[in-house]
Amino acid sequence: MKSLFRNCIYQGKNLFRDFGFVFWSLLYPIILSGFFYVAFSGIMNMDFKDIDIGIEEGNPIQYILEEIDILKVHTISRDQAEEKLIDEEIKGFIDGDLNLIVNKSGINQTIIKEILEQIRQMERLNRPLENYDFQVDYILNKNQEANMIVIIFYSLIAMVSTYGVFAGIVAVSLIQANLSHIGARINITPLKKYNFLIAGVIVALALNLFANGVLILFIKHALKLQLFNEIKYSSLFIFLGNLLGTSLGILIGASNRKSHGVKNLMAIATTLFLSFLAGMMSPDIKVIIDKKMPILGGINPISIISNNLYRINLLGSTKSVREGALLLTLYSILLLFSSYMFIRGRNYDSI
Amino acid sequence: MVVKVRNLVKRYKELIALDHFNMEVEEGEILGLLGPNGCGKTTAINCILSLLSFDKGEVEVFGRKMTPDAYDIKQKIGLVPQEVSVFENLTVRENVDYFCGLYVDDKHLRRRYVDEAIEFVGLKDYVKFYPKKLSGGLKRRLNIACGIAHKPKLIFLDEPTVAVDAQSRNFILNGIKELNKEGSTIIYTTHYLEEAEMLCKRIVIMDNGKDLVSGSKEELKAMITTSEKVVVSFTSISDEELSEMKGLPHVIDIERDGEEYIIKFESGINNLTKLLEFIKEKELIYTKLHSQLPTLNDVFLELTGKELRD
Ligand SMILES: Nc1ncnc2c1ncn2[C@@H]1O[C@H](COP(=O)(O)OP(=O)(O)O)[C@@H](O)[C@H]1O
Ligand SMILES: [Mg+2]
Repeated sequence: MKSLFRNCIYQGKNLFRDFGFVFWSLLYPIILSGFFYVAFSGIMNMDFKDIDIGIEEGNPIQYILEEIDILKVHTISRDQAEEKLIDEEIKGFIDGDLNLIVNKSGINQTIIKEILEQIRQMERLNRPLENYDFQVDYILNKNQEANMIVIIFYSLIAMVSTYGVFAGIVAVSLIQANLSHIGARINITPLKKYNFLIAGVIVALALNLFANGVLILFIKHALKLQLFNEIKYSSLFIFLGNLLGTSLGILIGASNRKSHGVKNLMAIATTLFLSFLAGMMSPDIKVIIDKKMPILGGINPISIISNNLYRINLLGSTKSVREGALLLTLYSILLLFSSYMFIRGRNYDSI
Repeated sequence: MVVKVRNLVKRYKELIALDHFNMEVEEGEILGLLGPNGCGKTTAINCILSLLSFDKGEVEVFGRKMTPDAYDIKQKIGLVPQEVSVFENLTVRENVDYFCGLYVDDKHLRRRYVDEAIEFVGLKDYVKFYPKKLSGGLKRRLNIACGIAHKPKLIFLDEPTVAVDAQSRNFILNGIKELNKEGSTIIYTTHYLEEAEMLCKRIVIMDNGKDLVSGSKEELKAMITTSEKVVVSFTSISDEELSEMKGLPHVIDIERDGEEYIIKFESGINNLTKLLEFIKEKELIYTKLHSQLPTLNDVFLELTGKELRD
């Protein structure tokens, strides 16, 4: 117990001071999330303010529209509308039958259309329109684009939750005499090999969870994106992602004698590819895969994590939690078991 | 007997790295394992320590069969590996403390041992340094400190002075003598003759995975036929005079090395006097003349037909 604790402290120090680790686990995800944020900020930061719309004097919904902050209502006649639409003085015109007339399509037009849709629906249901907060409702309902961005961020978080993979590679290299000089040195001491490896796994999990926490705080406070409404199941999936990543790292580390750099590349390639399939580069990929090969989304661990984060936090649904968590646990067990085949030797044919 | 190795055979695929290798180490001695690069010294150590599997043979350490999980035997051993093997991101002190802590649980005792080891290798001013900031020589000293801090009874040092400046080398060699005086048995591998000669009580000479001979340096030198060499630089000497010189009593061979002639004698009395008489008689003029006792290099040369040089 005491020696486990000492090993955790020293391996933790050794890892935390490693530039490669700090970069890949801590900085790279933050840089990547900043990059995504900038790249998609056109859609993220939709400027809802002052969308000019035209409406005829006396239209019953005029006062409702005037209550909505993001709209600026101009009362004009039907005849003037055409001209003003062309001059882009207004983005859309609403006629007496609540039809929307636009001159071109765009995000502002979409917003007007959605609001109009809501009003029609409310009218059909005979609900009082006065108290309705269309702005909030619009944002909560999220249009298609906003949903896509959220998918990207959930898959980013899913990916970096598996970044314990780097620490896993280090931990196993340090204990295998045929993989590192330190490994040879440690193997001739009275320290039991698994004691060292378990410490390595604990350190990998602790440091990567810490790095995930930093990223989530960064997204929440610096990028001001509210991704997590639910803590318990979200944490479970992030933890399982860590376990999976660390196990994968141990397997990559133990299964071959390639250089450390090559192993890191193998880790990056694997996680990046799975994240790509999970929709991190382009949500379209996810849409296509979900349509054409739903099974792939169901077994891709990064998809499992990002889909569950999405469902838990945005849709409030926990229906796939059990299945996802079981599958991820199973993966980790399989990875660790395969690694054991490589690690179990008590001495080496060649070092 | 602290270490006993019998007929050890180790193959790396096709290559036979150890070929029926034998070695015995007695308590309290410094044993030198001397041989050229690639002769199997490191392989022998790793097999003895159960780090490497081997094909045949027996290894006993402290009178018991050595195995990978003989933790109580490992407890009494210290290894200074050939390659510097320390944590890159731990400081000098943290490294020594880490490795010492794998043997010594007691915190106070460990603190004392760590201090002593750092003092011993002369790294007191560098305790907060990371290994990459240390020169090659200082790094090797750290490597040594990590292997000996727990005061092991048996210490393996695998070429600890390779690529080290003269100052660090002397420091290291004196330190090893010191460790031995304090009671540690030491196995020291090297391909430097002078080191083996000045440090070791007994030497095993090794080549191609085999132990060729073992004994004290005097015993080893007594084994070979050449017992004395005289090196002379003649201003001029004819071939007849040279062959006449070869006929002198006890002369085994004469080699030419540029200006110098190396005359090898087997043991006998008045070898040098007889040579000087010959030179006087022939009125040969020489610029330089000195006599050499045989070195371990001569021993190695005679055993293997090749020189043991860098
Ligand atoms: N891991 C290995 N795989 C294959 N051959 C090896 C390996 N390690 C050492 N050898 C070979 O075994 C021989 C002995 O090597 P080594 O024990 O390192 O010699 P030394 O320590 O005396 O320099 C050399 O020929 C070396 O090339
Ligand atoms: Mg060697």
